[in-house]
Amino acid sequence: MKVSLFITCMCDIFASNVGKDTVEILERVGCEVDFPEQQTCCGQPAYNSGYLEESKKAMKQMMKAFKDSEYVVGPSGSCVGMLREYPKIFAGDPKWEEEANKLAAKTFEITQFLVDVMGVVDVGSSFTGKITYHPSCHMTRVLGVKEAPLKLLENVKGVELIKLPIGEDCCGFGGTFAVKSPVISGEMVMEKSRHVTETGAEYLVGGDMACLMNIGGRMTREGKNIKVAHITEILNQH
Amino acid sequence: MSLKISSGSFENRVQRGVENDFMRQAVSSAQGRFKSGRLNAAAELGNWEDWRTLGEEIRTHTLENIDYYLQQLSEQVFKRGGHVFFAETAEEANEYIKDVIKKKNGKKVVKSKSMVTEEIGLNKALQEAGVEVVETDLGEWILQLDDDVPSHIVTPALHKNKEQIRETFAEKKGYDKSDKPEELALFAREQLRKDFLSADIGITGCNFAIAESGAVTLVTNEGNARLVTSLPDTQITVMGMERIVPTWEEMEVLVSLLTRAAVGQKLTSYITAITGTRLEGEVDGPEEYHLVVVDNGRSKILGTEFQSALHCIRCAACINVCPVYRHVGGHAYGSIYPGPIGAVITPLLDGYEDHKELPYASTLCAACTEACPVKIPLHELLIRHRQIIVEENKTSKIEKLAMKGFAKWASTPAAYKISAKMARPALKPWTKDETIKNGPGPMKGWTDIRDFPAPSRQGFRDWFKDRDKGGDA
Amino acid sequence: MVIQKQEAFLDKLAATLGRERRTEGVERPIWSVSPQLEVYQGFDQDDLVDVLEKQCAIIHTDFRRTDKAGLANVLKEVIIGYEGKSIIVAKDPRNKDYGLDGFYEKLQQVGREVHEWDATKGKENQVFAERADIGINFSDMTLAESATITLFNNKDNGRSISLLPRTWIAIIPKSTLVPRMTQVAKHIHEATQQGHAVSSCVSFISGPSNSADIEMNLIVGVHGPIKVTYIVVD
Repeated sequence: MKVSLFITCMCDIFASNVGKDTVEILERVGCEVDFPEQQTCCGQPAYNSGYLEESKKAMKQMMKAFKDSEYVVGPSGSCVGMLREYPKIFAGDPKWEEEANKLAAKTFEITQFLVDVMGVVDVGSSFTGKITYHPSCHMTRVLGVKEAPLKLLENVKGVELIKLPIGEDCCGFGGTFAVKSPVISGEMVMEKSRHVTETGAEYLVGGDMACLMNIGGRMTREGKNIKVAHITEILNQH
Repeated sequence: MSLKISSGSFENRVQRGVENDFMRQAVSSAQGRFKSGRLNAAAELGNWEDWRTLGEEIRTHTLENIDYYLQQLSEQVFKRGGHVFFAETAEEANEYIKDVIKKKNGKKVVKSKSMVTEEIGLNKALQEAGVEVVETDLGEWILQLDDDVPSHIVTPALHKNKEQIRETFAEKKGYDKSDKPEELALFAREQLRKDFLSADIGITGCNFAIAESGAVTLVTNEGNARLVTSLPDTQITVMGMERIVPTWEEMEVLVSLLTRAAVGQKLTSYITAITGTRLEGEVDGPEEYHLVVVDNGRSKILGTEFQSALHCIRCAACINVCPVYRHVGGHAYGSIYPGPIGAVITPLLDGYEDHKELPYASTLCAACTEACPVKIPLHELLIRHRQIIVEENKTSKIEKLAMKGFAKWASTPAAYKISAKMARPALKPWTKDETIKNGPGPMKGWTDIRDFPAPSRQGFRDWFKDRDKGGDA
Repeated sequence: MVIQKQEAFLDKLAATLGRERRTEGVERPIWSVSPQLEVYQGFDQDDLVDVLEKQCAIIHTDFRRTDKAGLANVLKEVIIGYEGKSIIVAKDPRNKDYGLDGFYEKLQQVGREVHEWDATKGKENQVFAERADIGINFSDMTLAESATITLFNNKDNGRSISLLPRTWIAIIPKSTLVPRMTQVAKHIHEATQQGHAVSSCVSFISGPSNSADIEMNLIVGVHGPIKVTYIVVD
């Protein structure tokens, strides 16, 4: 199966290892991975701030970049969720509506792709440690992916998975929210950090790098010795 | 207009909320209970999503035909001996109600909890006209005695603790017992019973008016709405114009959704459907009945992309799951309608001028949208608000410039690639041990609270290219 | 009676919706789902009594079950338990059908006050209800799911009986049980369509009054009755 990696700008710049792990996992399950060089950002920072026209410029670039791809797979529930919103945003646009529909239909978040498209719940990984999983908001509620990451994690040999209290609650990132409403965002991430600590886990695992950056950044600031890992980093341990 | 409850800045209100430990503790534990109640009630039904779909369909159909159903309602109320007044504005509604009371020579009004009367500032208008107004919902009574405003649309005094309530009762009403909730409530029962028996006017809001028969449905647990509608000889129902259903069958479905979504109850203790005046030979109920249908800005929402906001059945499920509300409390929103639904409807009813921060008081986490029993896409409506604020040119120059830059950057792959490479060296002056603790400019809001990672050492793109060439894999 | 400002108000709504006023011909669509019809489908009366009993425990309501012959005895026990010296009851033909008229007479003979609602006495009824220890009603329709008594209040069955006294007893003929509010709504909807006037007050009552307004603590008994007993009669 031919898959184009949608790395997301966040991982492109701040977490290139997540891109590498995603590629290697996809290859392990038998996919042929390419990387369309013309991809940039999904447009979400502008879209969620209300800058529709500005966001559309980014979106059009993404539609162009992935025009010839068979499948588009990315390591982020939020960014993939954004691509899945394109049809709504370009509805009635004679030039882009069809492209938007096509891209949305072939785009998947990595765990969703592994479980729902490839039918794989065990990628043959092993990892020793206590982990807790943060189900990020857009992954679960915008994209609707709730079970896939947990199924994959449950099948990692050696992992002890501990439930995160009130895990479904937002970590306070919210894109520009973290910078625009620092007080509220701060309270939210402090609460999340408390919940993660309560689990006694050694690793906080998630499917969205931005949320992990937020929670991880707070936990290191608090001097907590809990490491943060994107789910692909765990799944690529073997 | 009394939608607005504060003149302080949004930032100050947030700060006050965040510093109020008791309130935050109370809100947090209340949210936990509300949420588990709702989830249990939904799980018990087993097909909650079908219920939500039905709720959404009913609300959509009703709002699309609101003129038809309001006319039907009005005709039925008239047939049952009631007067009907259609008020375009808060002032019109208040004037009409004052006039009714004056004609009846009314001295004392008992009220059951009603958000729409809060919204139109009815109490103040009546008090200025020399009428005594007594709120009879326990939470509302506490607020009234303390001259405070609601912070939640279902449990209005959520932000107050029992010690504060005891003090208020002692100071204002001579209460001399303990701060046990049971004793406080018993005191309220005794005090308010006297008011019920001596009032000449009863005023309620309306959960659902039933067009086919002219009934007004009230959903309560305390029983005060029953007293308000049974004892005084004159009764006035004030309803937001959208609080209507076609028939009893839709009322039933929406009440089922409301009580489950609001408090996790199958039904509240009292669902009371009253129609017009008391009939011949009846003792309880009013001899004169008035229905006041209020627009007060709602019609501006009809026919727009925000129409679904009028589907709201005021259950507060969105408020009860909102993490922003949990940390800042209801008063921070500066509107009697707090939380996600408040952030959506307050600017619609009262304009952006005083409420332009509200659409941003959300991380767009979509917990509200998921919780809404009638499927209002709340977080999407918040984005739509933000778009309008941008369209109306009301954002800062710096933000506009940044977003223009973003668009250019994200639509020019070459520029994007260079900047991705340059990010690491550019941030080097602030980087130590692969971490940024004191970021420059807009990063400050972030690094005041948490660390920021340094950009990756080896870019993904280089790695991917290298392995294509047969390099390190 | 007058209707004021209706036309301008409704015309404006139609205009904002971008169409002509709709004054006739609007029909409810056929909804795509009807989950409310599925609840307790196929349950017989005894199954519904079981549902009711379980729900009573949740809503802090005492549950008793008896037959016609045993009703007076059970009622007596509950009245004694509630220390009921003054009692108000609806003027309901079922008092006689269930043999309670004699029972109430006997209660009076042993010094208890029993007031049967009397429309000709006007506000006196309310005054008595306000100081009564116990109100007693027969349920008109009973919702098993939520343990709810439905009362179609009328001139012989005042709203006050179930509202003003300190405690309340509802007698539930087993035949009045239905799965949930859906069946009552359908009944009233159909009656309305046939031109029957709906009761001026339809009361759905589920147990004692309560409030969670003080620190989210559940307080049972606020403005309405503080204690409630249901008696199901087979």
